[in-house]
Amino acid sequence: MNSRFDSALDWGALAPLRLRARGAADGLWAGPHRSLRRGAGVEFAGYREYSPGDDLRFLDRHALMRHGVRVVREFETDTDRSVRLVFDASASMGFSGSRAPGAKLAFAAVVGAALGWVALRGGDRVALDWLGEGGGSPLPWGSGMPAFERLVHVLEDAEARGSVEPARLASLLTRLGRSSPSGSITVFFSDFLDLPPNALEEIAALAGRNRSVIAVQVLAPDELDLPFGGPVRLRALESDLVVDTDAPRARAEYQAALARLSATWRDGLVARGARWLRSSTLEEPGTVVRRVLESIAGAGS
Amino acid sequence: MSVLVGAALAVAVLVVLPLVAHFLRRGRAAELPFPPAALVKATQTSARRERKLEDRALFSLRALAIAALAVLGATPLVRCSRLSLARGAGASLAVAVVLDDSLSMRAAPRGKASHFERARDAALRLLDSARSGDSIAIVLAGTPARVALAPTTDLSLARRTVKELTPSDRGTDLTAALALARSSFLGAPERQRRLIVLSDFAAPTPPPGDPAPWLPLPELTEKLANCGVAAAEQHATRVAATVACTGADAARGRSLELRSGDKTVVKVALEPRAGVQSVTLSAAGAAVPLDLRLDGDDAIAEDDSAAVAPDTRGMRVSVLADETESGTATGGAPLVEQVITALERDVTLRPLTVVPDQAADLAEDALVVLDDPAVLGPEARGALTTFVEHGGMVAALLGPRAEAGRIGASLEPFALGAVRWEQPSKSRGANVASLGWLGAEAKSLGDVKPAGRALVDAGHTPGARVTATWTDGAPLVVERALGSGLVTTVTLPSSVSASDFALRPGFVALVDRWLDAARRRRGLTTSVAGTTWSFPGEHPSIVGPEGTLRVVETPDRGRSATPVLRGRYRITTERGEEIRTVSVDPEEITLEPAPPPASATAQASAPSGELLDASSDVAYAVLGLLGLELLLRLRRVDARPGFR
Repeated sequence: MNSRFDSALDWGALAPLRLRARGAADGLWAGPHRSLRRGAGVEFAGYREYSPGDDLRFLDRHALMRHGVRVVREFETDTDRSVRLVFDASASMGFSGSRAPGAKLAFAAVVGAALGWVALRGGDRVALDWLGEGGGSPLPWGSGMPAFERLVHVLEDAEARGSVEPARLASLLTRLGRSSPSGSITVFFSDFLDLPPNALEEIAALAGRNRSVIAVQVLAPDELDLPFGGPVRLRALESDLVVDTDAPRARAEYQAALARLSATWRDGLVARGARWLRSSTLEEPGTVVRRVLESIAGAGS
Repeated sequence: MSVLVGAALAVAVLVVLPLVAHFLRRGRAAELPFPPAALVKATQTSARRERKLEDRALFSLRALAIAALAVLGATPLVRCSRLSLARGAGASLAVAVVLDDSLSMRAAPRGKASHFERARDAALRLLDSARSGDSIAIVLAGTPARVALAPTTDLSLARRTVKELTPSDRGTDLTAALALARSSFLGAPERQRRLIVLSDFAAPTPPPGDPAPWLPLPELTEKLANCGVAAAEQHATRVAATVACTGADAARGRSLELRSGDKTVVKVALEPRAGVQSVTLSAAGAAVPLDLRLDGDDAIAEDDSAAVAPDTRGMRVSVLADETESGTATGGAPLVEQVITALERDVTLRPLTVVPDQAADLAEDALVVLDDPAVLGPEARGALTTFVEHGGMVAALLGPRAEAGRIGASLEPFALGAVRWEQPSKSRGANVASLGWLGAEAKSLGDVKPAGRALVDAGHTPGARVTATWTDGAPLVVERALGSGLVTTVTLPSSVSASDFALRPGFVALVDRWLDAARRRRGLTTSVAGTTWSFPGEHPSIVGPEGTLRVVETPDRGRSATPVLRGRYRITTERGEEIRTVSVDPEEITLEPAPPPASATAQASAPSGELLDASSDVAYAVLGLLGLELLLRLRRVDARPGFR
């Protein structure tokens, strides 16, 4: 992990932050989130018809005696929430440019680690997966500080290289779709520049069914404004493409193309209930963490 | 060249170094990683072109700087030579520069400056080498030769005078120009004298003289093929053109085109031969003004076109004569008319029966001849006076009718007071000495014994001047200037009953003189470039091919102007408006350069080129180049591909 990003993050400022989501979670353990399941809670949730096997402690005997109806009383329960962090570790995420303190992957890792810290500290579960060849091994669901330490360790070993293969992406997203419980939150960190053509549809398909998907586009400042002067030869990092251009003349057209690409991703994801954020590696990582948390709070059903 | 100089100049080989560096760097833009490269539009051509231009400027500067350094290393061992005045023992010089501004100096070898421009530049270079105290005179060899600058030690004035010189369409009068230049040395205190001639010598060879001329630009005598339209004049429906060519090659394949505005009227091919050839073209139905143009290219482009002069046959002469008295025994027109016709002048004769009462009736006339007129009434006198005052000419041959006066009538403006007819005449002939202005023919009048003669008192007539007398002193010819015109009175009629005066050559010469005077006063409708037009008693405004022509006023000649360019001139005076055409002398085109023999020119004592040390100039050039290179590099650093 890039130490410059690490030092730029005020971990103390993250202490008051909590992971809040509008939808109910389907956790395994007790936690701060409203659960999809009814159980031994303290907040009355309503009545339902008795069925054999129900705990007789919740049978409303007053209703039975007055009206001869067997109903059971239900109470809401709280549970933990599953947060999955997916990082794009393709070669393009290794780009830093001239003005950013580090690579895009490093920035994403710091933001992701901070997000994981907020989630784990609130008792939620965190898992980690990778797009691209450069990432390390994925992390299964885990909770508590040991899970955070594993998370940081894996992120520190990450290296941006290669590209995102369509087959690998499809396989990953299929696995994520199966293993993400209802109420889970999946956060993608990527520049969304060199992903396979079907990536948008497949990522958007993860949203819905009470699952939240947050896409965080991470771009270097140089990618935002093409600051070069005079004639330059630009080389893509995930293909053999080389472009000779006159940067000042091509700047406006490039920015328009970038805006169109981002709009395509944003519109495609939002239409399926997902959320889209764009960040620059010049931003303060804590700010991006807050924006992601705010986005999570506003996402879901 | 010494080994040291060669070694210094060999440094210039290093000029290939920036060239090699240029080729190594050319077209190689900085390659930068950029993930969203696919979103950037390629503008390869533009980028490379800009880079190429920028590199070329830098390369040129560096190459020049290295070359200049090499030259600097070789100087002052290497020196340059240029045209300059040589002087002995540092004494001051008397310099006369003869610069030919004739038409032939307009010749320009293909792709080079004209002879005139080269001559003017050479004169300026020579003046640059003049020193304070040198006396400079500038003489122009275009016809007529004239002094553009009298001897002066003001070098800045001399330079300014030379810079302001412009080529003209004049002929060449090199002989007179050299005489003028040599006369400028008279009384000059300087013992060293330089006569510099900058001419193509397309003129008769000037006679040798002292000092001998120095010809610093012998290349001006290069023979160049040229054809030109010398003159063109319209006669009724025809245009007669005079075309001159230096050789058959210059005329071969070329044709003469008559144009009316933008429209071509007719086109005639030239005969491929040298010299002057007359070409007649039909101008029937063509609207004036007409112009002639010679197609093709030659050494002088300016003489390939010419304005067509309007028909000059329109000069009209009115004659009042009694056919019975002024005629001959064999019949025919009066003698005066016959003389005018015999002179074959392009004039139109108009016989008068009476003197017109209105001046407008004489407006078209250039000359009015009254043979033995009777006294004139007030209306006729007024008409004649107005005609004369506006530039006309009237001649009267007084006879016996002059004496027959009546109340209110006189012979004014010919004579104030009474005119007496003396018969028999007491004269024994004309005073030949007083008729010297008439030429050799004057002698024929020495023994004229008229039967009678008119006696006038010239003393009573203001402005009258007796120009010829009888042997007894009585006036024979009296001239009187009146306004812009001239009144001539002869005290003898043409009638053979009075004398055989009209049958003598002297009478023909006298009429010829009247016609010449009338033509001059009417105005020359055509003239060659360099001819001075006089406008006595008028305030002319002249617009020519290059704008308004300057009119000068001198005490002796009055107002005059000298057109030096061929073309059409519009002259506006109090009398009205007229068009005059200026042509060129055909000899100015046909005469080929023929420099005087070497023996007649200064060679042994000719000034030579002066060796100049150019070290300081080269050093400044090197500094300037290095400064420029630095500026350009700073600009390149700002614009270098990278981050802002």
